[in-house]
Amino acid sequence: MHPSITSLLLIALSTSTIITMSSYHWMFAWAGLEINMLSMLPLISKEHHPRAVEATMKYFMTQAAASAMLIFASTINAWQTAQWDISLLTPSTPMMMLTLAITMKLGLAPFHFWLPEVSLGTTNSVMLIITTWQKLAPLAIIILLHNSLNHHLLTSLGLLSMVVGGWGGMNQLQIRKIMAYSSIAHMGWVVMILPKAPDLSLLYLMLYIMLNLTMFLIIISTALTKLTSLFSTQNKSFPMMILMALTLLSMGGLPPMTGFLPKWLILQELIYQHQTQMATLASLSTLLSLFFYLRLVFNAFLTTPPNTSNVTKNWRNQTNHHILLPQMMILSLMLLIITPLVISLF
Amino acid sequence: MMALVLNRAFIFSRCHQQNGISILLGPCVTGFISRPYSTYRRPGTKPDNTPHWKTINFSFQNAADEMKKRLGLIKKEIVDHCKGPEGRSFVEWMVEQTRVVWEFRNQKDLDGWVVSSDAEIGGKSEAYLTLGKNNQSALLYGTLNTDVPRDGETRRSGYCSMRSKLQWGAFNQKNFYDWSTFNTLHLRVRGDGRPWMVNIYTDPYYSHQKDDLYNYFMYPRGGPYWEEIKIPFSKFFLSSRGRIQDNQYLMWLDKIRTLGFTLGDKADGPFQLEIDFIGLSKDGAYTGEEFPYEQYKRNP
Repeated sequence: MHPSITSLLLIALSTSTIITMSSYHWMFAWAGLEINMLSMLPLISKEHHPRAVEATMKYFMTQAAASAMLIFASTINAWQTAQWDISLLTPSTPMMMLTLAITMKLGLAPFHFWLPEVSLGTTNSVMLIITTWQKLAPLAIIILLHNSLNHHLLTSLGLLSMVVGGWGGMNQLQIRKIMAYSSIAHMGWVVMILPKAPDLSLLYLMLYIMLNLTMFLIIISTALTKLTSLFSTQNKSFPMMILMALTLLSMGGLPPMTGFLPKWLILQELIYQHQTQMATLASLSTLLSLFFYLRLVFNAFLTTPPNTSNVTKNWRNQTNHHILLPQMMILSLMLLIITPLVISLF
Repeated sequence: MMALVLNRAFIFSRCHQQNGISILLGPCVTGFISRPYSTYRRPGTKPDNTPHWKTINFSFQNAADEMKKRLGLIKKEIVDHCKGPEGRSFVEWMVEQTRVVWEFRNQKDLDGWVVSSDAEIGGKSEAYLTLGKNNQSALLYGTLNTDVPRDGETRRSGYCSMRSKLQWGAFNQKNFYDWSTFNTLHLRVRGDGRPWMVNIYTDPYYSHQKDDLYNYFMYPRGGPYWEEIKIPFSKFFLSSRGRIQDNQYLMWLDKIRTLGFTLGDKADGPFQLEIDFIGLSKDGAYTGEEFPYEQYKRNP
């Protein structure tokens, strides 16, 4: 794609998210979401491979349906309350429809089926945008309205997403699909704690974006596609594999990495609010995600490929890493020590 | 009485085929129900005007058997999900370098394949599939005949093929083969010197891609000795309805549905192909091209 077209699409993508996040009128929010979706479509189908076109169509169908449901919910709200203001959403029917629309936008269970398929049809860099930047606009709406929404519904959707994300990622051989199921599980955490502590939800989102960005920068620099390609990647760049392993453990929520921080604070908050069963279920479902993260680490480090791997050839190839990677690595691994500062801020 | 009413509705629908009344009547006009699949009618044959309701075979026993079969498939899918992808443990996926997908040792193995020839369109070719000597191989044999059927529409003829059957999961969900951990198709065959084409059908999610096929050639030597033919998957090129496409793409191996062999070398006469097994292998030394077909920009 011509660089000017790519720049235009990226500018439209960022502008549309800012429009949605800063809007007060439902029409502006919907317009921002639509521009967001439309600017993603050429990026997903950049390669014109049949699978990329299929992913584009699936993305378009789900996002368009979700946007339509969102504007329909706001129209019903305007009909019943004579208000188009976003913060004035009171009737139960529009609230339910809005929740389901946002669930579909975010790829939460039970509307998550499109995310792994779209992830497989796109490139790694576009998948990075889908799992990070594309979450901001819908979550901005849902955070703005968290007081009006059905808390039980949000909590149930969050828990279901955690379980589905962990269970679904178990038998995957493609790394992008694993990251898609990981995204579903992490979004479950964000949405689950939203009714009780929206600040923690925001913290989790920020740290998830940071960890996901780090992971995808490693995947892009080492051109990882399949699980079996991890066997020979340690020959290409051993330090990169060590960092990937630590990032995965951080995403799994293991101390002393950064990923432990949001999960710890959320579980603590749930126990303070006497939701011990929910905390237990959340912890157990995280173990499922941790299992397939550890499987990636196992394949990268603790296995020797049974075939010859052209060792002499591989070490001569220099792996080009992204300029942001060192900074992201430090943030992904070493932020746990600033927990007191985070607690005071949130 | 009911049959009379339905028959009259059917005749009514046939008379008013071109106007919008049949659309308004909808399900009452049974002859106008649009089928979700295409029904091929051989040129020169009469159209099949059997009403849809006459072809239904209503039976409680069939329903019970069908439910039992489908619930069995669901149970198998859940159990397989616990074991690993496609019901095989992850250790197998990580370690395997070769895998035999199809081998022909008994009649059940042959039942997973469909043999066809141009006899479907009125041609004179014949193709048969049977077990080879000592039940150690499959033998595809027959006669190719390029005589064009005289129906006024067909212009070319003369092909024979065998193709693996589509796999279906519980409640008619599509099932795929995931060959993404391999990079080479490995065949052990004994031919007669005729050139064959290997066709791989990947999942067409949208119906406009249903004719897309990835093909490559196979040139077995004639003679008494078996040979092992290895075709890298990157060599397969994309065609649609038999026409090679200008825009070529690498074949993705995670959703394979069928594999087939076709003979269409325009040479009349008998043919024979013996297949021991069809398998996959991961050739670590194959670091050649990622995709061998150069892409030219048509309007740069």
